[in-house]
Amino acid sequence: MSAGLRAVRLGTFVVVAVSAMAPFTLLALWSVGGDWFYPALLPRSFTGRWWGDLLQDGRLLSAAATSLMLGAGTGILTCAAGLPVGQALSQASGWRRHAGAAMAFLPVAAPPIALAAGVQYSFLRLGLGGTLTGVLLAHAIPAIGYGSLFFLGVFEVFDRRVEDEARSLGASPRQVLVRVLLPLLRRPLADAFLLGFLVSWSQVPLTLLIGGGPVRTLPIEVFSLVRAGQDPAAATGALIMLIPALAALAATRLGAARTEVVAL
Amino acid sequence: MTDGGLLVRGLRVPFGAAPGLENITFAVAPGERLALVGASGAGKTSLLRAVAGLGPGRADELRVDGRDIATMPPERRGIVYLHQTPLLFPHLSVAENIAFPLRVRRAGAAEVAGAVREVMHALRLDGLAERRVQALSGGQRHRAALARAIVARPPVLLLDEPFASLDPVLRHEVREAVRAAQASYRPAVVLVTHDLDEAGTLADRIGVLLGGRLAQVGPPGEIFASPRTLAVARFLGLSNEVPGTITADGRFTSPLGVLPLRTPLPPGPGIAVFATRALRLDGGGTLAARMVELRHRVQQTTVIVALGDLGLEAAVHEAVPAAPGGEVRLSLSGEEVSVFPHTVGG
Repeated sequence: MSAGLRAVRLGTFVVVAVSAMAPFTLLALWSVGGDWFYPALLPRSFTGRWWGDLLQDGRLLSAAATSLMLGAGTGILTCAAGLPVGQALSQASGWRRHAGAAMAFLPVAAPPIALAAGVQYSFLRLGLGGTLTGVLLAHAIPAIGYGSLFFLGVFEVFDRRVEDEARSLGASPRQVLVRVLLPLLRRPLADAFLLGFLVSWSQVPLTLLIGGGPVRTLPIEVFSLVRAGQDPAAATGALIMLIPALAALAATRLGAARTEVVAL
Repeated sequence: MTDGGLLVRGLRVPFGAAPGLENITFAVAPGERLALVGASGAGKTSLLRAVAGLGPGRADELRVDGRDIATMPPERRGIVYLHQTPLLFPHLSVAENIAFPLRVRRAGAAEVAGAVREVMHALRLDGLAERRVQALSGGQRHRAALARAIVARPPVLLLDEPFASLDPVLRHEVREAVRAAQASYRPAVVLVTHDLDEAGTLADRIGVLLGGRLAQVGPPGEIFASPRTLAVARFLGLSNEVPGTITADGRFTSPLGVLPLRTPLPPGPGIAVFATRALRLDGGGTLAARMVELRHRVQQTTVIVALGDLGLEAAVHEAVPAAPGGEVRLSLSGEEVSVFPHTVGG
């Protein structure tokens, strides 16, 4: 490789790294910055006030708890619905497979605001507007789409003869699920749960339109703080929002190192 | 047959748009081994899977130990189908894998422990109970899969190409494991193979699957000595074919001379088929031929000869008296020659 090409590659890497890290570095500085006004590059003083306010402010903590609950629920629904749908799609062929995959992909591909507008009409008629259940079900729509496509990929490489073997050895379909499939799919299930959790955790349009005012999640509160110009408080809330994403990254990395053999 | 073992009558297995298996009928007694042989794509695996309830297929009658199992789900048929590659569950240890069929039947802990210990000992798996299956050698995997298959003592074992892709040492090990497994409680065994030697060595009877039908079923000696049709003879690799004429007085005349027919056939064109071993290089033989080529194999040395326009392969049991192009004498064992009516191009 020529020196010029190496320099271009290094430069590209630096640009990507800076653009990825800069927003989060700024958030971190903001969350501990005392006085920080343009054109100062760094805060003039540092303070723990914003974190203290956050811990004392029941609103943000309550929103974080709501987001955790919704994320966990969405993760569970992603696994519960995504696994059988992905499995069924992997076994289907022809137009059924194409139509099924397209239906799973639609809520993933659709602009969130369009999806939210469409869902809002039917949910309000069903009395689900402004309720936690409504928001949970709304979050589950794109999450299950992601989950179904994820499990479709998993079952594409999963050796289905293992199920035949277990049936032939005397296991009922339920025993095959409990004693063979679920243990073998432990890692993909954990990944799908995280996927569903993260889809819900960062969801704004669906929460706004279905939850209306009553359901306040962490992204909604952070969004409000940003709009109100309360930058340090918004930065602190935004940093908390990063925690699950970083935990998911770490879990995925650990999981990749310990992955069981799924395709035998 | 008795009520025991496996009875399959009128089994039909579809192959999508292609013609499938038709009217497959056979029975296997307890303790008996039936080898199904056939070319690749003949439907051997599909047949086993249909019998096990794991693949499509409909039978007029399907019984295990006298029980009608035609509409039962796979887990209730009393049939264990063993894949060609041992599919041990990777999340379970060797002992837990072997215990699996007993655990799903909710057997007691003491019964499970005793049965697992016994079968592991029978198949020389002692000391591997807690081992992860990924850490087993190829032979150990095969033996562990067999142990798991027989631990619950199913009346019928279906083995799909159990020796394919194994090296000779491992092949011997797995073959002996099959014998040991069957000796432990005498299940009816159906094994699929494309290796005729393997079938002849291990099976009590052989079934030849050709053109979607079971063309012939019988003991290995009978199948190899008396193939029922020309297609079966060709499948069995009886490499020598000599065209001739079937006469009204029950003889077959050809460049081989005149041979008496073992079974009456309609007069007309015929073809004699025989294995290499039926034709042998013999200084005192009555047939004169020209030597073409000497071929050495592990088990046997053969010679390719030209008898008029015909190319034939003969067994060599003595020093070869001529170089290629020279004349050799041959003798033919008439009892090992099968004659079939034959149409031109048929």
